[in-house]
Amino acid sequence: MKTVAVIFGGRSAEHDVSIITALASIIKPLELTNQYRVEAVYIAKDGSWYWDDRLKDISLYQSGEIEDFMRKAPKVHLLFDNGLMLVKSSQFAGRKMYRKVDIVFPATHGTYGEDGTLMGLLEMANVPYVGCNFRVSAVAMDKALAKKIIVYSGIKSTPWVSFYSNELSKPKSVLESIKKLSYPLFVKPAHLGSSIGISRVESEKELMNALEVAAHYDDKVIVEEEVKNLIELTLPIMGNDDPIPALLERPLTKPEDFFDFDTKYMQGGKKGSGKGTKGSQGYSELPAKIPKDLYDKAEKTALEAYKTLGCSGIARIDLLVNSKTKDVFFNEVNPLPGGLYAHNWQKAGISSVELVNKLIGYAEDKWRDKQKIATSFSTNYLKQF
Amino acid sequence: MFGALTILYSPKFARVIAYMLQATEYSITAYIRWFWRTEDFRRIIYRKDLVLTRPSRLILRTLQLGMFLQIVTAIVLGIWSTHHHTSIFLPLAVALLLITPIFWAHLITIPLLLGRYLIIKPYYAFEVWKSRKLFTEHRATRIAVGGSYGKTSMKEILLTVLSEGKKTAATPANKNVSISHARFAQSLEGDEEILIIEFGEGAPGDVKKFTSYTKPHIGVITGLAPAHLDKYKTVEKAGRDIFSLADYLKDQNVYVNAESSETKPFLKSAFHLYSYQGVDRWVVSNLKQSIEGVKFVLSNGKTKIDLRSRLIGNHQVGPLALAAVLGLELGLSAEEVKAGVAKTEPFEHRMEPKQLSGGWLIDDTYNGNIEGMKAGLTLLKELPAKRKVYITPGLVDQGKNSVAIHEELGKAITKANPDLVVLIKHSVTDDIVRGINDGNYKGELRIESDPLDFYTNLKHFMATGDLVLMQNDWADNYN
Repeated sequence: MKTVAVIFGGRSAEHDVSIITALASIIKPLELTNQYRVEAVYIAKDGSWYWDDRLKDISLYQSGEIEDFMRKAPKVHLLFDNGLMLVKSSQFAGRKMYRKVDIVFPATHGTYGEDGTLMGLLEMANVPYVGCNFRVSAVAMDKALAKKIIVYSGIKSTPWVSFYSNELSKPKSVLESIKKLSYPLFVKPAHLGSSIGISRVESEKELMNALEVAAHYDDKVIVEEEVKNLIELTLPIMGNDDPIPALLERPLTKPEDFFDFDTKYMQGGKKGSGKGTKGSQGYSELPAKIPKDLYDKAEKTALEAYKTLGCSGIARIDLLVNSKTKDVFFNEVNPLPGGLYAHNWQKAGISSVELVNKLIGYAEDKWRDKQKIATSFSTNYLKQF
Repeated sequence: MFGALTILYSPKFARVIAYMLQATEYSITAYIRWFWRTEDFRRIIYRKDLVLTRPSRLILRTLQLGMFLQIVTAIVLGIWSTHHHTSIFLPLAVALLLITPIFWAHLITIPLLLGRYLIIKPYYAFEVWKSRKLFTEHRATRIAVGGSYGKTSMKEILLTVLSEGKKTAATPANKNVSISHARFAQSLEGDEEILIIEFGEGAPGDVKKFTSYTKPHIGVITGLAPAHLDKYKTVEKAGRDIFSLADYLKDQNVYVNAESSETKPFLKSAFHLYSYQGVDRWVVSNLKQSIEGVKFVLSNGKTKIDLRSRLIGNHQVGPLALAAVLGLELGLSAEEVKAGVAKTEPFEHRMEPKQLSGGWLIDDTYNGNIEGMKAGLTLLKELPAKRKVYITPGLVDQGKNSVAIHEELGKAITKANPDLVVLIKHSVTDDIVRGINDGNYKGELRIESDPLDFYTNLKHFMATGDLVLMQNDWADNYN
């Protein structure tokens, strides 16, 4: 039986979302396959790693007992020994427990996880892992960088400017660059997901406050134009070379009432028009009820974006559509959709168990392909030295 | 091993015993069999727990007090013998301590047996004797519904359809034994026009006894299949008991399900046969089924009635057609019959469609016979779906034919050809697997050992486009 380590938590503002993703959408379905030994690996907010079966219980986090657990439990060490091995003290006679990991299922959202840092570590260990590789994850997590690549490949994206947070100490040049954009604008931390730190700005007087909010959460900020006659769409996609789309989903929100973190995760999506089905992230229309030609165009754009960015395993592409002009704009890519967007896959005919099984399969395929690539090259350079 | 033993001496053991008695409906034989079959009493209270009723609470308290007193006596005796150096009492104290759980697990059956034979049986006999007069004097047309399977569904269909035009009463839920009939008779208001009485046979002579006091005018026999073979031993013997209903009616006004092949040896020319093809001269045509129900045309010469029901499965057409025909014969108009049939809907846990995770789940967990299982599998085969899943633990009480019946079930599963078959692990699992393998099944086969865990997490296995059929659910005492 193969061992799958599900890594979640992390030093990120989306730490709590990650716990839900791991426990509800990954660990449980993986265990139900009866094919894997599933190890829960939790990264605390301070960056410490823990590995224990008790970490699979949601009540540990809800009750706050996790603090007590962390005080008593041994921290985990990682060993790169022809793959990845988890090591922790057994707390008896100095003995240690070892667990060889066959596949890693990252479930970390945001910084120090979804942004490619964790994937880099896993690449070093040469262990198969689910989802996009470290390069794609790093690009995907930088909204400005992702837009640059997307626009370069011919896919439309809304006009934007980006800058580093420290540039706000002398905001004149930042404000000047923003002037070329038309209001209303969206101000976002460039690397965060789950709608944290996002503001909608209708006039210049609201701008500075929004910039400071975004800069509070991230070292890079992106400011984008709002799309008129907006239809927001999102499409989860999975696969490596031949990606499979789920269903285009339309969050039921008004432009002035867009999804923020509280709406998505805390209020069950009650903000907004409140019609449609309640998915893992609030109310949405699933599948999106839009004309067929527009549906096909949006799906095609999302698949192109997935391939252009080099995504593998799973990702979710967010699109913005002008319903009058039928222009489809790439908005952003999420390399680890919250809850894997299992509700959407389920509606598309793929159960949670099937979903995690497929993702494990893609991870192994990707890893096998990578093993074919030569990593050494014989030279006589050392002899000449 | 050690854990399995510790529960015998834990305070929870009394509760386990009380639960086992309650789950077997205080049948001492079934309880004793279950007790000696059990290897680990920690697994007994798992899916369900003891429901505290007056009798169960009394049993629980008696067990707790009795076991406590015996343990205290053993300890006191042990201490006393140690202090007085009378070593003869020490082994006695140890033995007294060790036998506590087993002794009380059996001792508790004595007051139950005494209560049954000295109080309950005479009381029930008196109640049944009183009901004979109530039934005889009641002016309603009395319809008896008997058979190895499908009785409760048939009764509910008749009740729904006939109530549309006549004041009709029926025995409640699956209450179908003598005392239930007696209580039903006592609950009647007196002005009912039709009474429907379900006959729940369990041992030879039951049906003959039921007819003797309910005195039916019409008999419906829903089918014959291996059931309660622990008492009947053979299907033939069960058939003889069930068809004693026809003997009582002198073969007149007897309606028999022609789809049940086991009834064939008992059929007589005077009987009326019903099936998905019709009843007597009434013919079924334009039959269509979906997950939302069945619809068909019932015609007799130029008379045509369009019928639509929310019951699912073609096997429901026969009972629906019979209810319609009986309704017409008992004085309902065609419109009333049509409205009555339209009101029939799936009964809880019997071919009951439910939506789960975007897919359809057909809950048929109260199905407990091979004919019903095959009807469900036919439905699974015929309904369109992106992916089909079949879940079952198999059947109980199949007597010496159990192996053959489960192999037959395995073959029926193969014919239905679901994409995934999930067998809940039990003593009959290997027999089903053998039948599946004989049928050369190509899909995926899973064997699950923990039904509670599997059922709880079923939502994770399902998605839009899935059709899942879940048949039968073994009660804990069959584990």
